[in-house]
Amino acid sequence: MSEKDRLEILKDILFTEDREDIDKIADRIELLEQTYNNREKFASRVNPIVERQIDDFAKNIPNTLGPVITETLKREIHNHKDEVVDALYPILGKMVKKYVAQEIKVLSEKIDNQLSFISAWKRRLRSFFGGSKEKELLLNDLSSEKVEQVLLIERDSGLLKAGYSKTETIDEEMISGMLTAIKSFVEDAFNQKNQELELIEYELYNIHIQSFVNYYVAVVISGSYSLKTKDKVQDIIFDFYHNFMEMNLDLIYTSRHLEHPADTISTKLIEKKLAEYFGNAKI
Amino acid sequence: MQKSKKIVILGHFGVGKTSLIRRFVEDSFSDKYKVTIGVHITKKVVEVNADESVSLIIWDLEGTDEVQMIRQAYLLGTHGVVFVFDVSRPSTFQNLNRDLEIVAQKTPDTPLIVVGNKKDLVINDELQILLKDNGIKADYLTSAKTGDSVNEMFTHLATLLNDLS
Ligand SMILES: Nc1nc2c(ncn2[C@@H]2O[C@H](COP(=O)(O)OP(=O)(O)OP(=O)(O)O)[C@@H](O)[C@H]2O)c(=O)[nH]1
Ligand SMILES: [Mg+2]
Repeated sequence: MSEKDRLEILKDILFTEDREDIDKIADRIELLEQTYNNREKFASRVNPIVERQIDDFAKNIPNTLGPVITETLKREIHNHKDEVVDALYPILGKMVKKYVAQEIKVLSEKIDNQLSFISAWKRRLRSFFGGSKEKELLLNDLSSEKVEQVLLIERDSGLLKAGYSKTETIDEEMISGMLTAIKSFVEDAFNQKNQELELIEYELYNIHIQSFVNYYVAVVISGSYSLKTKDKVQDIIFDFYHNFMEMNLDLIYTSRHLEHPADTISTKLIEKKLAEYFGNAKI
Repeated sequence: MQKSKKIVILGHFGVGKTSLIRRFVEDSFSDKYKVTIGVHITKKVVEVNADESVSLIIWDLEGTDEVQMIRQAYLLGTHGVVFVFDVSRPSTFQNLNRDLEIVAQKTPDTPLIVVGNKKDLVINDELQILLKDNGIKADYLTSAKTGDSVNEMFTHLATLLNDLS
């Protein structure tokens, strides 16, 4: 037996197990190669795992990405209010139009109902002599201007000094604050020195605003608001202010600088005067 | 006799200004976030003692991360200021002392109350350390969600304003 043969025998004895292992591994690799090269077989193995991963990912999106997206959206909306308003405006516009159309229909129905025979004859007579149509006359009745509410408001703080109101409205102190906020915003935003907001139109109401040094007066008017109305309202405000407030202004002013400013004119008294001046005003 | 006082609520956005007012005025809370745009005004009458009450006219301003940008016109004639930060969001109080300086410049000689809100979201001990590390002194730590210290804070302010006038 040659040296080489002996070595082979020795190898056989020593490495049998290893060889078997190597063979097994080779088989396994071949199987893997087959699976890998055969798309379908490969897919059937891998797909379930991928699907589970995607499922998990989808389930977790609200938790992982949700807050980030919400935060970003909030910030974007917050930083681009003008654009948001621009985008919403046409939609809102349509809604308002629809609402107005609806309201006019309701109004027209109301008018038709009111045109009962007995109450109508007077108007008929009037329209016969005056040449105007019944509905128009009634509309005129409905749209005649009325003072609904008057507020005397401290200019800076927006605090209500005194108020007069024909009907129960929402809290006057809150309206005063809101009006002041709107007024401040407009005057600030347009940044025009010595320019004051004079009129706010709100649905069926017009709010006429007249500013003085420490206070401003807001008059809420229902019905149509014409130049003539504006003139008359202004006259009444100036009368009221001149006759009543101005003579007390010095007192108000000096009292502000006292350590314990006295409430110089009582709210009750001002309210009485407001009712006197505005309550039965013909405008 | 009843006096009226204007107070403004300031702070970065989303810190819970509107929620605090809502808890105080209506005693309710919502998890939904509705950004305040412009300013919203509410009112609550607070009894400060047996025969005196103060009508608080509360101006809820839209939040801004740039305190310098707050519209001066909204601050005119205000009697008291509440500055709110969010204890769960450090970005709302990291520059608190600088923010407070700006507020004080904008509303000179006006009482200012500093409030850390959303305390229900953090652990108190950790919060105390965090505030100390940032050199922050809050007058009140509140939660609009649970109502913790909300009434106390507003009532304290009302009493303070009543005593001042
Ligand atoms: N957990 C918890 N959440 C709160 C608390 N206060 C407010 N929030 C929530 O925080 C979010 C923002 O609250 P708002 O009250 O709208 O905050 P804001 O300061 O008025 O926000 P801006 O008007 O945008 O400046 C809302 O989702 C609230 O539900 C609180 O004390 N605890
Ligand atoms: Mg808000």
